[in-house]
Amino acid sequence: MRQTYGKTLPGMNLSDLAGKLIVVEGTDGAGRTTQINMLRPWLEQQGHAVLDTGMTRSPLVGEGIRRAKESNNLGRVTQSLFYATDFIDRMENEVMPALRAGFIVLTDRYIFSLMARAIVRGMNPAWIRGIYSAALVPDAVFYLRLDVEQLIPRVIFSRGFDYWESGMDVFPGQDMFESFRSYQSALLAEFDRLSVEFSFETVDASADAKVVFAQLQAKIQAVLDGDSRRQPLFADEAVRREYIHKVFEYAAASTMRRSADQPFAQPRASTGTEHSWAFHSNAAVPSLHARSTLDRK
Amino acid sequence: MNTGNSARFGPFEVVIPPELSSLRQRRFSEPEFPGRLFVVEGVDGSGKSTQISLLHKWLESKGYGVVFSTWNSSELVKDTTKLGKKKKMLSPATFSLIHATDFADRVERNILPLLKAGAVVLCDRYIYTAFARDVARGMDRHWVRDLYSFSAKPAVAFYFRVPLETAIGRLTTARDGFKFYEAGLDLGLSDDPTESFRLFQGRILDEYERMIPEFGLTVIDATLPVEVQQAQVRQIVQTHLDRARNLRVRP
Repeated sequence: MRQTYGKTLPGMNLSDLAGKLIVVEGTDGAGRTTQINMLRPWLEQQGHAVLDTGMTRSPLVGEGIRRAKESNNLGRVTQSLFYATDFIDRMENEVMPALRAGFIVLTDRYIFSLMARAIVRGMNPAWIRGIYSAALVPDAVFYLRLDVEQLIPRVIFSRGFDYWESGMDVFPGQDMFESFRSYQSALLAEFDRLSVEFSFETVDASADAKVVFAQLQAKIQAVLDGDSRRQPLFADEAVRREYIHKVFEYAAASTMRRSADQPFAQPRASTGTEHSWAFHSNAAVPSLHARSTLDRK
Repeated sequence: MNTGNSARFGPFEVVIPPELSSLRQRRFSEPEFPGRLFVVEGVDGSGKSTQISLLHKWLESKGYGVVFSTWNSSELVKDTTKLGKKKKMLSPATFSLIHATDFADRVERNILPLLKAGAVVLCDRYIYTAFARDVARGMDRHWVRDLYSFSAKPAVAFYFRVPLETAIGRLTTARDGFKFYEAGLDLGLSDDPTESFRLFQGRILDEYERMIPEFGLTVIDATLPVEVQQAQVRQIVQTHLDRARNLRVRP
């Protein structure tokens, strides 16, 4: 049975969470999103149903966090708790139903980024760990690691310095570059500590994206091959439909825009025909409902 | 990093920039600021809001710099809470967390700075409301208490104790119908809103009773006449203000 880091939430049923929870962690600019955008189609081609999720995509709090970050007045405790609300909302309403329906859940950042950010902002590590003790233990955590000096050119020559990524709220006296360096160094030090405590699989993110991708493919394949259950997850098709439906509805309610070709963070069940350990996902896609909800937006 | 200092928390070494060291959290920190914090607690219909509003006017008339903060009122967070309640999107856990977020914003932006500045801060509902409601919803008692460990400890926390039937009687005559979360309808205790409200508020009362010794809440018998309760409240508040140095007065 799947486990949490210590606490369970009311109504949380940890049995039958048969999917796989795979975490991609790393500092800003380490290439997490690039990798997830490659991993997803690769897994779908193998016939797996894939959900990808990430910070602030909760329909409940995502918009509230974005608004709060635009204001000049978001405190450190408030920030940590806002993100915790977003995380738990997605876990309860998106990740857990998806795991129950047998999805592979790829998550861009997890509790580790949230803990690192909070700790660097002076929060008590025991306090923030306590809050996330209700989080599910993932099947694997891949930590894309990049030194600050390698990170800087990636940021400068792509999107430029961002107020929050530069930790300007933490180092208000410094200019953006100095602040970025101080903040990302502190984050990196915290990530390195967490990587030992939580046994991350560290991947050198300074290599070419294709090289990193090949490493991740091999590691994820090992996680999937390690699963001995190669049978449908639900005897009752209706139950599985119900959970897939929940995932679709949740994602459709999210207003988080991702990119032009994928305007909403919507889960797509696989259309592939190859099956390894996965169930036949394409039989139960309630796509009409999800699409029509999206179309109305 | 050359600008930070480091500290150890159990097995973890943590680098913290020097200007943040003061933010280090203590569990329900003792007042070390010139201001004074007074809070009122109790179930809906206990009359606590009436009492704190009378206290507010009295303190202002005496020239104290008084600031009032009410539950669920953060400008940054309340729209999110409203959305969650309206669309019934909140689970016990997210209900708990979004209220903690709202509270954190008020603590960071108002309550703590004002206490440091020497104000008298009055709060209609405080962390005990969260403890009572969240535990009544099934959240872990320790988890919720730890969640709020960043809060300042009040000088006095008044608990307006009222029997359940009295509270329900006051509320049902004052308005028609109960809201979804206030009646605990998210818990499926009963399909009948009045019955669900009764069961849920009963659980909340049990939690308050447990917290009286745990947090040293000051119990006021809320079945007494309003004037009698207010006289008791003022007397207790006065003794704390007499002992306080450096309180700021209203210009």
